Amino acid sequence: MDLQMVIVGVGGEGIIFLTRVLTEGFYRSGHSVISTETHGMAMRGGSVISQVKVGNYMSPMIRHGEADMLLGTSEAEVQRSLPFLKEDATVIMNAKVRGDHCVDATGIARGLGNPRGGNVVLLGFALARLAPAVALDPFLEAIEDLSPEKFRLANVEALKAGWREGLKTVNGEEIQG
Amino acid sequence: MKSRALGGKVLLGNEAMAWGIIEGGATVVASYPGTPASEIMETVRKIKDESGLKIHAEWSINEKVAFEVALANSYLGMRSAVMMKQVGLNVALDPLMSSAYTGVKGGFVLIAADDPGPYSSQTEQDSRYLATFAKIPVFDPSSPREAKEMVKRAFDLSEQYEIPVMVRPTTWVCHARQGVELDRRNGGNGVPSFKKDPQRWAATPRFRYLLHKELNRKVREIASENNPQPIATPEGAELAVIASGVPYAYAHDVVKAMGWEERIALYKVDIPFPLGTEIDELIQLYPQILILEEPHSVIECQIQCRKKVRGRLDSTVPSEGELTPDIVARAIGAFLGQMVKDIPEPPAAGKKPSLCPGCPHRAAFWAIRKAFPNGIYTSDIGCYTLGLNLKAVDTCLCMGASISQAAGLYHSFKQAGGKIPPIVATIGDSTFFHAGIPALMNSVHQGACFVLLILDNGIVAMTGGQPTPAWPGPGKKMEIEKLAQGCGVEFIRVVDPYDVPLLIDLLKQADRYVRKEEKGVAVIITRHPCLIYGVRDERRKEGEIVITKECDLCGLCTERFECPALQEGPEGRPVISQVLCANCGVCLYVCPHGAIARR
Repeated sequence: MDLQMVIVGVGGEGIIFLTRVLTEGFYRSGHSVISTETHGMAMRGGSVISQVKVGNYMSPMIRHGEADMLLGTSEAEVQRSLPFLKEDATVIMNAKVRGDHCVDATGIARGLGNPRGGNVVLLGFALARLAPAVALDPFLEAIEDLSPEKFRLANVEALKAGWREGLKTVNGEEIQG
Repeated sequence: MKSRALGGKVLLGNEAMAWGIIEGGATVVASYPGTPASEIMETVRKIKDESGLKIHAEWSINEKVAFEVALANSYLGMRSAVMMKQVGLNVALDPLMSSAYTGVKGGFVLIAADDPGPYSSQTEQDSRYLATFAKIPVFDPSSPREAKEMVKRAFDLSEQYEIPVMVRPTTWVCHARQGVELDRRNGGNGVPSFKKDPQRWAATPRFRYLLHKELNRKVREIASENNPQPIATPEGAELAVIASGVPYAYAHDVVKAMGWEERIALYKVDIPFPLGTEIDELIQLYPQILILEEPHSVIECQIQCRKKVRGRLDSTVPSEGELTPDIVARAIGAFLGQMVKDIPEPPAAGKKPSLCPGCPHRAAFWAIRKAFPNGIYTSDIGCYTLGLNLKAVDTCLCMGASISQAAGLYHSFKQAGGKIPPIVATIGDSTFFHAGIPALMNSVHQGACFVLLILDNGIVAMTGGQPTPAWPGPGKKMEIEKLAQGCGVEFIRVVDPYDVPLLIDLLKQADRYVRKEEKGVAVIITRHPCLIYGVRDERRKEGEIVITKECDLCGLCTERFECPALQEGPEGRPVISQVLCANCGVCLYVCPHGAIARR
């Protein structure tokens, strides 16, 4: 598998947590993976970016025009990061409108009684778009291990819900129940 | 100690280096937090707590102290490590320079993390220069996996030559994550024993000359075995790239992605200083040479024959800022006559960071602006540098400088004989412990008069919530009030900054003491726990904060108070995000129309 992925948002939204789950999940799937995350001052509400590279890479940084997928928690952050993308790249964004690349992750999370779980829903949605090359189980294991006790069950449910939503439609077509 | 296979684990570079320290067998480890190095010590302490290993692992008061504590253990023949960010090494430069002369017995590893960019630092300095300055070897890892191995190699090299050894990771090693093999838990062997040798451990200048001679011998010997490692040497290569650290990883990936394998010779440098002489012979083999390293030019500067060598010194590679795979691709492509697509203009600046909702520092800065609209505000290193956003921070130089600079401003105005404006210094609790105390003693002793706010949130917040000396530890707790008193300060008040009117009143009292009566330094300790790492604030349970219909859309609260929970809603109307709001109630004092209320 060869996949270069950019995750963007602002500090405090849990972007580092998503990156950890992704890295751990790909590693448990048997892939070679390297990622980066933003620490320090930007974590106080500033723009943050993570990069995840799956495949035979030495460096964790992605060249402009080379990313296969961009995962963003808001349109503003996604806009800023478009230069990273390949022409046929997939953009997955949390938004109120529903569409091919937009998912109302916050709404789904609220429906689960977990208003802060939107980003985990978003992650599940993005992973489903990588199926069948990607299986959900290693990521479920990863999120179980990485979540604090208090949020473990809620995070697992949110990831599953996002995955289900992602499987529902690709290019407007229903691909799986 | 028994060895036990643990297998692979996904680790942050800093976690991997912590495992290198554990597996390397260090028994005394010391550090001061600073991005991008903080998680190394956090992980050492976590492993220690979980495994019950016998290691003394301390968050020291500053980097100089950390260095000296760990070094003493190496004098006793035991392995030691000390970790810090690059500007922290400036603070520890004194012991570094001298310890290169005295040398060590047990392996001594200094991890100094650089921050090309910079992302979270006041400079882009290259710690490898300080290794060359001190004449000690330095490892330059290119990945988390390699960083762990290099920490262990550094222990061995240090012991073999009885010399301190630096490991210098950069941000994208420290904060990169990958699968890392863990092999043994080794808590260290041996018993500390001190062999008296005053000509070494307490050398006078006459013996220092001899120690210097000995140091030069060590460096020459290490250099003679240290040459760039050939990774790929295709016949007829048009260019040789010699690289170290993360730029090596970029070069490796770029050459592969662009299909340049047959055209480029690639060499890797693990130890950028001291380099052997083979590099000068090596460059004769190729028509052109490109050196890739960051943030400065340590390898490049050691090459005698400069004719064919290109790098950061001649701006073939940009002389400032971090390298990226795009910059590396373009630099290599230029030698091959191959245009690599232009790097797009950097996107508009992203969202800037700000103090958290409910942050006690925001309340303090608001009060300072209210009490002294025309003051000069010196500040310091920490979350509270973000007081910039409230226009209550005018200077930020380095750890502890808020206090000495406030004193300097006072002396300058005083000498000139005119009116002295309100001078207000702000410093966090941990920074006060780190470097503020000598500055405060000096200010009091020299008769400077200014207001000093010690913003005490009880934790090192910016770097992830490390403990301060005010916490219970193995020894006694430090009390800021008593320390200020010990420095000779007579005006000391403690206040919860959430009580804005009281704080403003105290600030005015302090101003009278300082400017009217000219009695010296007035200290106000604003004490409220950090909302992220501290105790959960009970105010959350009180009624919600809302905007009432009295709001006339003046924008003061959203623009000047800039709490992330106060957001611009439809038609420019401020709204309070109940998800973000910490219910601190400080904004109730902010609205001039009383349009912010608790429901």
